[in-house]
Amino acid sequence: MIQFLVSRLLSALVVVFGVVCLVFLLLHLVPGDPVDMMLGESARPADRAALREALGLDRPLLVQLGEYLGGLAQLDLGTSFHSRRPITDMLLERLPATIELAVAGLLVAVLIAFPLGALAAVRKDTPWDQGAMTFSLIGVSVPNFWLGPVLILVFSLWLGWFPVSGRDGIVSLILPAITLGTALAAVLSRMVRSTLLEVLSEDYIRTARAKGLSERQVVIHHGLRNALLPVITLLGLQLGTLLGGAVITETVFSWPGVGKLTVDAILRRDYPVVQASVLLISVTYVVVNVLTDLVYAWVDPRIREARA
Amino acid sequence: MRRAAVPAVILALWLCMALAAPWLPLQPEHISLPDILALPSGEAWLGSDDLGRPILDRLIMGAATSFHVAVWVVLISALVGSLIGTVSAYWGGITDLVIVRVIDIFLAFPGILLAIALAGIMGPGIGNVVVALSVVGWVGFARLARAQVLSLKHRDHVTAAVALGCPSTRIVLRHLVPLIGAPLIVEATFGIAAVVIAEAGLSFLGLGVQPPQASWGNMIRDGARYMLVAPHMVLAPGAALMLVVLAVNLLGDRLRDRLDVRSRVRP
Amino acid sequence: MQRIGTGLLLVACALLSACAEAPSDAIRMGVASAPITLDPRYATDATSARLNRLLYAQLVDFDASARPVAALAQWQQLAPTRYRFRLDPARASFHDGSALTAADVKATYDSVRDPTNDSPHRSSLEMIERIVVIDEHTVDFELSRPDPLFPGYLVIGVLPRKGIEAGHPFDRRPWGSGAFELAAWPVEGLLRLERRADGQLFEFLHVSDSTVRVLKLLRGELDLVQNDLPPELVRYLERQPHIDVRHREGGNFSYVGFNLEDPILADLRVRRAIAHAIDRRVIAWHLLGGETRLAAGLLPPEHWAGVDFDAYRYDPARARSLLAEAGYGAGSPLRLNYRTTSDPLRLRIATVIQRQLHDVGIQVELSSFDWATFYADIKAGRFQLYSLSWVGIKSPDIFRYVFHSTSVPPAGANRGRFQDALVDGLIEAAETAQEPARRARLYQELQKRLLETLPFVPLWYEGQFVAARTDIHGYELSADGDYDSLAQVQRRPAGVREARFAP
Repeated sequence: MIQFLVSRLLSALVVVFGVVCLVFLLLHLVPGDPVDMMLGESARPADRAALREALGLDRPLLVQLGEYLGGLAQLDLGTSFHSRRPITDMLLERLPATIELAVAGLLVAVLIAFPLGALAAVRKDTPWDQGAMTFSLIGVSVPNFWLGPVLILVFSLWLGWFPVSGRDGIVSLILPAITLGTALAAVLSRMVRSTLLEVLSEDYIRTARAKGLSERQVVIHHGLRNALLPVITLLGLQLGTLLGGAVITETVFSWPGVGKLTVDAILRRDYPVVQASVLLISVTYVVVNVLTDLVYAWVDPRIREARA
Repeated sequence: MRRAAVPAVILALWLCMALAAPWLPLQPEHISLPDILALPSGEAWLGSDDLGRPILDRLIMGAATSFHVAVWVVLISALVGSLIGTVSAYWGGITDLVIVRVIDIFLAFPGILLAIALAGIMGPGIGNVVVALSVVGWVGFARLARAQVLSLKHRDHVTAAVALGCPSTRIVLRHLVPLIGAPLIVEATFGIAAVVIAEAGLSFLGLGVQPPQASWGNMIRDGARYMLVAPHMVLAPGAALMLVVLAVNLLGDRLRDRLDVRSRVRP
Repeated sequence: MQRIGTGLLLVACALLSACAEAPSDAIRMGVASAPITLDPRYATDATSARLNRLLYAQLVDFDASARPVAALAQWQQLAPTRYRFRLDPARASFHDGSALTAADVKATYDSVRDPTNDSPHRSSLEMIERIVVIDEHTVDFELSRPDPLFPGYLVIGVLPRKGIEAGHPFDRRPWGSGAFELAAWPVEGLLRLERRADGQLFEFLHVSDSTVRVLKLLRGELDLVQNDLPPELVRYLERQPHIDVRHREGGNFSYVGFNLEDPILADLRVRRAIAHAIDRRVIAWHLLGGETRLAAGLLPPEHWAGVDFDAYRYDPARARSLLAEAGYGAGSPLRLNYRTTSDPLRLRIATVIQRQLHDVGIQVELSSFDWATFYADIKAGRFQLYSLSWVGIKSPDIFRYVFHSTSVPPAGANRGRFQDALVDGLIEAAETAQEPARRARLYQELQKRLLETLPFVPLWYEGQFVAARTDIHGYELSADGDYDSLAQVQRRPAGVREARFAP
């Protein structure tokens, strides 16, 4: 088990290093000049040259990479070209918003997927099952950048139930969470259905039924509980969908999180911010994957025994 | 096969629109300022957009765009990805190790994020969208191909071929690739759906197809801007997108169900 | 299972309680772009500059004709290269109560001129040789050469000397002597200022999406929205009972620029044809605000050096014949590339222009880019046509910056590589003219010459509008889109008697 842990961590580190280098290199082969972006139309050339020097854009590529890696070691993610603020501050400022949205999206997804998947599994091959799976299919097919505006149109504009955008209390979280969570709910409900189907065909379920437990007790206490763990570990792998979807959802709702920051920075050619936020998101994803693998390995005795 | 009828019809419609677009009498760029945001009428069946251009015509152009991007991206990703995955699994050793690491690095980015970053870096335009989405897309195929080949590698017919002295390329091409074809086709089908959404997403953010060229993504974006005064502008492209993606996903589901039995690799 | 649920709920609550609490009586304004820095020595974007006008006092400001007038100080020209500024005895103190003295003025301008500070405004002050404090209320500026436009450059907000010396972070915690001071800036998109006179709070919310801004206004989440909306949404707002919309003329100048090094565009007939082919009236009517005026020159008619000629009339027949003269026609059509930013309003206009040029036989390829790429391309001369605007231009030194033959980037903004000896001569003559009337005449000559040689096609001066909820009183639009009249704005709900509120 320890061996597994160590080897997994090592490969994760290699991946993270690869990610850093990849992100760094890509951004430096770009057309467009961030100095012009910062100073605007009527800036004088002398000032531009000074700024370029101050930001270190005139030094050779490898030196810049070295400096960047050194900075990372000290948790210094650089300074934004656009606002000249330390990026670490900017990310820390916006992280709570993204975490909020991700958690809420996850909650929505779980609240939709579990009942839906359970229903589909229990009533397999009936219209309930087909209906649930169609619903899930639709959920995967509706793009979040369309669902968002439609939800805003109906629930904010026509019905006036929710605020339109921005982060302003729990009510403003609902529409973005639904937008983000729907795609995940769709995927998740299928997983719940198939896992539950597998579990429900196990022997101990038959035993439970034979013992005279009600169907509901069988499904919920024995079925879902045992289906839960595999689904949760699969959930970790779906985090990528959540984080990726958050980027667009945050843009649609002007949700002040890391995703929106990334898109704004890309459109503004704010190299350091793009680097830092892509890095943050990817590293988060890698960490969660590692944790998920570990949980999965710990849970699945086959893997645990094999490495012991 | 009645249930397959609806998705089949939608897909056929999409295909027709995409392929026939250059020859249809469309006027997607015809500006008519007095018709700005006009509602659907006899003249313009889906209404007009913010420059008085007929939305139906632009919708059809958007269909063509999404189709071409999807086909190209999936073709390139599938070819490149499967090849790399197969080779990696077959040769094993250091090559495999390196390629697995590279795949892991690419997988460390949530897909759309990498596509957004790449498209943002390379600049706008259909070509760059195809490149960006292919760079993101090959990984899925590579991983699938590798997993399949790894389990096929030790099958009897392969061992026999090796024993008979078949050259590697022949083994790869004639004995391995055809067997991994089925799951790859399923993956490709879902891939098409994903690419259609991704291309629209990139155009929505302003990174893909540039106006005045029409793409469902930038139509949704422009439409959302006028949602308050002309909802028809955002509803049409979004509905089209959703229907096409739904149809492709349904097709993928059916394919997976039908090919599953034959292609399941027994350990 | 239950415990997980409860746990998640607790986490969610904990996170949400960290949300900033908004006081309900703040007056809220929606802005299309967030302020970047509240340090006037570094601000270059419009939003930051407008907010800085609220937070800081500046020595000099401009009147309706863009002539420099006294703001914080009156000045006197002691010699061609020496100006004396006397601070207004009734001036406000800094936000912390300390007095604003000449030493603070010197410290502010010295810090902008200091090369180690990298201020983008440094080169606009390069003619200053020395700043001398005479007494608490008086400061002298000594120049290296005479410049009749000089006082018009002193528009940077004054910072306290002790703050500068202590390295105070003015960009996030502005410390000035303006009518407003910083109350809070909890997140990037939400800035809260307090009006010093009565403690009224103002919030500036960054809402980039125009529909969302309008919806927030309708729901009362915003009280004021100024500019940056498509005309359809403005008309929609005009129909709403709780919203007042007011318009006025503006001075921001839009144009289509040419690259004169391109062999096709070097031909004046082609440029004239394009000028005649664009129907500006139709565009202004359908796509721009009601108060948009067609333009003939860079400076609007109300500017002391502004012009009011009749510009090129929309005449597609004339355009076609000019093109035929230049050798283009159905057989060999003219093909051009037109660059614009991806800003939706600009793109919309560019698309219409593309169609109008198409109608006279010019095939235009439209390239829209993000700002950075676009800007790099036009500076490097990688373009044929492009369109852009000049915002907030007050001082005629813009002509040298844009049209003098030595101002090709990176030295200036002569992106079209325009070379005309007469224009150079007029610019130089105007710079040294001592008498204001003569100076004005020379600039008008210059703009006439520019209209004849067409390095650009002047389009229009965009109108301004403000949409406010009916309980907001006192907001007046300024010519440049500044927020200055927020100093007088009050919220007065309908149905409450006037006597309750202080005038």
